[in-house]
Amino acid sequence: MTVIEASSQALSLNQRIRALVFSQEGVLLLITIVAVAALSALSEPFRSVENFLNQGRLLTEIGLVALPMTYIIITGGIDLSVGSIFGLTAVILGYTWQNLGFPLELAIITSLIVATIAGFINGWFIVRVGVPPLIMTLATLALYRGLAEGIAQARSARGYPDWFYQLGQRDLLGVPTQLWILIVAAIIAAIILARTPFGRSLYAIGNNETAARFSGIPVGRNKMLIYAFSGLMAGLAGYIFVSRVSTTRSDMGTGLELDVIAAVVLGGTSIFGGTGSVPGTIIGVILIQLLKNGLSLTGVTGDSTIVVIGTVLILSILVNNFIQRRSGRMSS
Amino acid sequence: MNPKLRLLLVLVMVLGVFTTAVAQEEKRWDGADDLPVNPLPCPVKEGETPEEPPAPELKEYDGGQPVNPPDLAGKDIVLVDVPKLIGIGYFAATTKGMQEAAEELGNVTVTTDAPTEANIDEQITFIDNYITKGVNGILFAANDPVAIGPVLKKALERGIHVVGYDANSVPEAREWFVNQAEFNGIAKAMMDSMVAEIGEDGAFGIVTSTFTTPNQARWIAEMWAYTNKCYPELKWLETVEAQEDNILSFNQATTLINKYGDELDGLFGMTSVATPASADAVTQAGLCGKVSVVGLATPNAMRPYVKSGCVKSVVLWNPVDLGYAAVYVMRAVVDGTFKPGDTSVEAGRLGTLQVVNGSEVLLGPPFIYNAENIDDFDF
Repeated sequence: MTVIEASSQALSLNQRIRALVFSQEGVLLLITIVAVAALSALSEPFRSVENFLNQGRLLTEIGLVALPMTYIIITGGIDLSVGSIFGLTAVILGYTWQNLGFPLELAIITSLIVATIAGFINGWFIVRVGVPPLIMTLATLALYRGLAEGIAQARSARGYPDWFYQLGQRDLLGVPTQLWILIVAAIIAAIILARTPFGRSLYAIGNNETAARFSGIPVGRNKMLIYAFSGLMAGLAGYIFVSRVSTTRSDMGTGLELDVIAAVVLGGTSIFGGTGSVPGTIIGVILIQLLKNGLSLTGVTGDSTIVVIGTVLILSILVNNFIQRRSGRMSS
Repeated sequence: MNPKLRLLLVLVMVLGVFTTAVAQEEKRWDGADDLPVNPLPCPVKEGETPEEPPAPELKEYDGGQPVNPPDLAGKDIVLVDVPKLIGIGYFAATTKGMQEAAEELGNVTVTTDAPTEANIDEQITFIDNYITKGVNGILFAANDPVAIGPVLKKALERGIHVVGYDANSVPEAREWFVNQAEFNGIAKAMMDSMVAEIGEDGAFGIVTSTFTTPNQARWIAEMWAYTNKCYPELKWLETVEAQEDNILSFNQATTLINKYGDELDGLFGMTSVATPASADAVTQAGLCGKVSVVGLATPNAMRPYVKSGCVKSVVLWNPVDLGYAAVYVMRAVVDGTFKPGDTSVEAGRLGTLQVVNGSEVLLGPPFIYNAENIDDFDF
C-alpha cells in the first residue's frame, strides 16, 4: 500500500519535472542558459556582474513594454503604436517642461497621463468601434509619431536638473535604478496574469472571445484596460529612456514595437492568442539582449549579429514546437 | 454613416488640423540646437567691394579629458570606430581612410562596428559594449549630440580616449572632434552652386535625414541664414525628412516633384543617400535639365548622374581623408603630442590641420565634384 503510494508520488514528481522542462518557459530557459554559458566561455568581460547589471539597464525599456504586450497578444490583439507612444511621451515631457514651463515633476506626470490616454484611445476604438487591433494601432503608430514630430518641431529638450538622471543613469542599492522598476512591474504583471480572475479572463478572451462574453466576462472593459496599460508602460519606458540619454527627440522609440513583439513571441506567447506567460516574455527579453551583447563582446560585428539573432529566433521557435508536439504525443 | 465611425473621422481631422497648426506656428531653421548662425560673405559681383570675412573667434578648449588614461605613448593601441551606421558608401570611405592611417602608423589597430540603421539607442549600446570589452580609444560619428553624451562620458571615466569625427557630440563628452568642413562653408558652397543653376529667383526643396540630425540641421540653418543674407529672392519651398533611407528619399523627392510641378527648379540632397535618390527621382520623372539637383554625396554614387549631365555639382569633403585624420588625431592624443590649448596637429599626408572652435580640428574647405574632376575619385 505504502509502496504504491510512494511510487505514484514519485511518478507525479517526475511528471511535474518533465512538465516544467518541456514547458515553453523551460525550453527557453535552457536555451538561455546554454547561450550564456557559451558566451561566458568565449568572452571574459561578458561574464562580469557589472556587464549583466549594465545589460539590465539597457533592456528595461523593452521589458516594460513587453509586459502589457504579452497581455494584449494573449487576447489575440497587437499593439504596434508602442514605439510612437514612447516617442510622444518623451516629446510631451520635454515640451511641457521647457516650452510650457511646467515643473519637471508635473511634466513627467502629464506625459504619463497622455501616454495612458493614447493607449486608451487604441482600446476604445478597438472595443467600441470594432476596428481590428492591427489596423487601429497601425493608424496610431503614424498618428502619434506625427503628433510627436509636430509638437517637437525638430527641437530637443535638454539640460535637465541632476535628480532627473537618477532613474536612467544611476544605481540604487548597487542595481541600475530602472531595473528595480522592471523587476517589481514584472512580478506584479506575472501575478495578475496567472493568479487573478482578470488575468485568467485574458486567456479566455484569446481562446474564444464570444464564449468569454457569454460567460459573463467584461471583455470590452478588460481589453480597454490592457491597451491603456500598454500606453502607460510605453510612456514609462519613454520617460526612463529620456532620463538615460538626457535629451528628447521625436524619433525616439522608432521600431521599438518590433523588438518588443519579437521578445514576447520568443517567450512562448502565441501570436494567435490564448497562451503565453510573463516569465516566458522576460526570458525572451533577456535572451535577445544577452545575445546581442555577448556576440558583440566576442567580436562579432553588428551586421552579423542581427543575422545570428534572426537565426536564433527561428531555431528556438522550431525546437520549442518540436518538443511541444513530442510531449503532447507522449501525454496523450 | 455609423456615428462611431463619424466620430473617428472627426477626431482624426481635429488632430490633423492641430498638428498642421502647430507645425506652421514657427517657420524657421535654426539647427535645433540654439547655436548662433554665422553666414559667410556673399559672392562678389562686379563693381562691388568684397566683404571682409568674419575674423575667426578664439575659443578656449572646451572638450573633456579621460580619467587616468594608461600611458601608451608609442605603444600599440586598439581603437574602435562607431559611425552612425554601417553599410553605406560614406562610412565605408571613412573606414578606408582609418585603415590607411592605421597601416601607415603601424602601431594602431582599428575596427569599425556600428548598427545597420542610424539609431541612437543602438549606437549607444554598441559603444557601451566596447567600453565593457575594453579598448584604448573610441572614434565616433554621433547620431544625436546629446544622447550619446552619457555613454561617451562613461568611456572617459574609464580612461578611454574619445575622438569624434563627421558628427559631433556635446564638447565635454569627447576630447576632440575632427570637423570635415565648417557648417557655413558647406552652406555657402551649396547655395552658390544652386544659384548658379537656377538663378537668384528660383524655387527649391530640400530632402534631409531628420530635422534634428546634428550636421544636416546645422547646414540647413546656415543655408537659411545665408539665403536670407545673399539671395532674398530665392524661394524656399519645403524641407522633407527621409531618414537615411534610399527608398524613402526617392519617394520624398518624387513627392516634392509632383507637389510643386513647374514651380520646382531645384532639389537639395542633404545626405549621401538623399542626393543620389533625388537625382534618380528627377531622372525617372524625365526632368533632367528642368530640375537641378545639388547636394552632398560620394562621387561613386553620383557618377552616373554627373556623366548623364543631370547633376552638375556635388558638394563634399573627402571622407577618406576624414577617417585618416581622425586616426592621426587619436594617435597624437594618446602619444601626448596633441594637448588642450594646441592650435594645430600633424596628420600624415594631410599636413598640419588647424584647431577651431576650442576643441575641433578642421579638415579644410569643402570640395565640389563636377564632370571634369569626378573621375579622379573612387569612393
